[in-house]
Amino acid sequence: MKKALVLAAMAAAMVLPMSALAEEKTLEIWSSGEELGRFVEGFNEIYPDVKVNITVVPNADFLAKLTPTLANGQGAPDIFTGESDYVKYLVDSGFWEDLSADPYNVGEYTDDIWDYVTSVGSDASGAVRALSWQASPGSIMYRRDIAKEVLGTDAPEEVGAMLNSNEALLEVAAKMKENGIKMFASWQDILNMEFSNREQPWVVDDTLVIDDAMLEFMDMAKDIAENGYDLNVDPWAPEWSAAVESEDTFCYVLPSWGYQFVVKPAADKTVGQWAMCEGPVPYVKGGTWLGIYKDSENKDIAWDFLKYCCCDSEAQQAYAKEYGEYVSLKSADEVLAAGEGEEVLGGQNPFEFYNGQMEKKPSDLMTGYDGQINTVFLSATKDYATGILSKEEAIEQFKEDVATAYAELTVD
Amino acid sequence: MLPKTGKKKKLKNRENSGLVFISPFFLVFAVFGLYPVIYTIYLSFYKWDGLAPSVFIGIKNFHRLLTDKVFFLSVWNTFRIWVCNFIPQMLLALVLSAIFTFNKLKGMKFFRAAYYLPNLITAASVGLLFNLLFDGDKSVVNYILTILKVPGAPFQFFNSGIFTTGLVSYIQCWMWFGYTTVIIMAGITAIDSSVYDAAMVDGASKMQTYIYITMPLIKPTLVYMMITSIIGGMQLFDVPATLTNGLGDPRKSILTTSMYLYNQGFKSHNYGYASAISVGLFVIIAILSIFSFRAMQNKGGTQDGN
Repeated sequence: MKKALVLAAMAAAMVLPMSALAEEKTLEIWSSGEELGRFVEGFNEIYPDVKVNITVVPNADFLAKLTPTLANGQGAPDIFTGESDYVKYLVDSGFWEDLSADPYNVGEYTDDIWDYVTSVGSDASGAVRALSWQASPGSIMYRRDIAKEVLGTDAPEEVGAMLNSNEALLEVAAKMKENGIKMFASWQDILNMEFSNREQPWVVDDTLVIDDAMLEFMDMAKDIAENGYDLNVDPWAPEWSAAVESEDTFCYVLPSWGYQFVVKPAADKTVGQWAMCEGPVPYVKGGTWLGIYKDSENKDIAWDFLKYCCCDSEAQQAYAKEYGEYVSLKSADEVLAAGEGEEVLGGQNPFEFYNGQMEKKPSDLMTGYDGQINTVFLSATKDYATGILSKEEAIEQFKEDVATAYAELTVD
Repeated sequence: MLPKTGKKKKLKNRENSGLVFISPFFLVFAVFGLYPVIYTIYLSFYKWDGLAPSVFIGIKNFHRLLTDKVFFLSVWNTFRIWVCNFIPQMLLALVLSAIFTFNKLKGMKFFRAAYYLPNLITAASVGLLFNLLFDGDKSVVNYILTILKVPGAPFQFFNSGIFTTGLVSYIQCWMWFGYTTVIIMAGITAIDSSVYDAAMVDGASKMQTYIYITMPLIKPTLVYMMITSIIGGMQLFDVPATLTNGLGDPRKSILTTSMYLYNQGFKSHNYGYASAISVGLFVIIAILSIFSFRAMQNKGGTQDGN
């Protein structure tokens, strides 16, 4: 009798939490950044029964952790992210659910999403596999005080007009030098923009394509390095970041995350002294996409979450308002553009500026090979810029490195 | 008194329980040591991007490996960095251990601990630390050199392959000489003092004692140091990977075999070829270990034998 009671109690103890769990579903997400977690609170207000569990894996280790898990399917998350360097590799791998098909029918929402966000997340057949809550249009972020002193104006349109080609950039750089000012923080930043100057991506039909814009960039880099137009450091070096507050560095060529993570947090003395203008070409660079794992058991709530982050204008407005981050929905960005400007930017509204850039439809041209190819290209360009290799040798070196990194590509 | 059969059974049980007691090690080793090794060898015959189904391609990966300039360059880089770090490290450790064991120095324990300290810092942070010291026109070192009005300053240190490899060797040496010193000192302490007494009676000088008595008697320690160092050295990864951009810049001068393997696997998503590289590295380390073991053993053979 006693035994039976104990057994019954044990059974009840086991069943109770199980039934509680059945009501509250858990959504497992792997993300390469912390930002995605900012959506959870708002999401839970609408879907209180879903527990969102975000595991942040540093970007450097993300693929190393993700690929074996996907390959054997054990403990795979319901949603995982992909950064711009390798998002195409994930999109083409087919491990993300086809969002264009039933029951998702993402086509209902894509009209309001900036084109490149959808096109990067689409595979070769045009099916949307992943979406982003971010869009990353670029700008040249420059110092108003220096512009006024050297160029005679600090108005973004006027400064932008003086920087509307690569030649113009170098001319202004020479003028800056006469005044003891470094034009750029690092010439390597300019590559973010020059990518959008290309006609074709790095790889077309499994063949390496070196666009003329890239060859032109190599000479531009050499010009800058030889004349000392930049600080002669790599991006993200302490000196590069510190240049936000310096007396003698004019601009950064960075996309929207550059304002978020570099200029805005570091600006203190220089609050109000920054502004954004267009460079030679409107561009986009970077972003984090998310997609639903094809064998997930929680596809319904995964879609609810993805939809909330990437297709819900109100959610994005709240997010953008709080964190100042440019978002992927046109309607949300338009609302923010009507709002107040940024103190750091001297009252300029970045949303308004970025909307203008996005309407010019900057080309994205991403491939799954970009991560490695971009790095070896910078490395070869650096050897040319510092005079160690001739241009032909540097190009030869670049081709060899690409062939080594991706043996399956045709390089000639 | 127990019947005979029971006793036998008990004995047998005892033998089995012995196996049970040692099994944890073998189980752990099989899961975390043996299985990955076998799986790596298996993968090296496949083409696999990590996500798509793997395709058997026979010895193609090894064919590529044998004709891959970058692979041989990376092996040479690794070996060169190891030699340039091992020789000064050994000399330094031998000198320091001699000073520490044969003289009663004040604060000897402090120095021993201080020399060991660099070994406790994570290698990746050491790489970053040295990057901060040398990278850029306004880096710490360039700043000092500019103040001292050294002609040519500021220098672009990481543009020079020779400087960068030298720096990696130096960092490795700096990180490991303390450890080597401690191990050699342990070897020296284990020597029977009567041997030294005999040498003293024969009128040997301190120098002679060290070269003719201490050195041959710590040969097993030196063999151990050499083999562990070669195995560790050929797998060098974190310092060169964090010192520059991870591709071994400038111009692959500090691209080690492990870095190349990592880049092929986790950056180019070519796990099959990365496995082939690691099998190649395994073979090279095995050959070098046997070679160094033999070399040290042969020389020491007569002394040990007598």
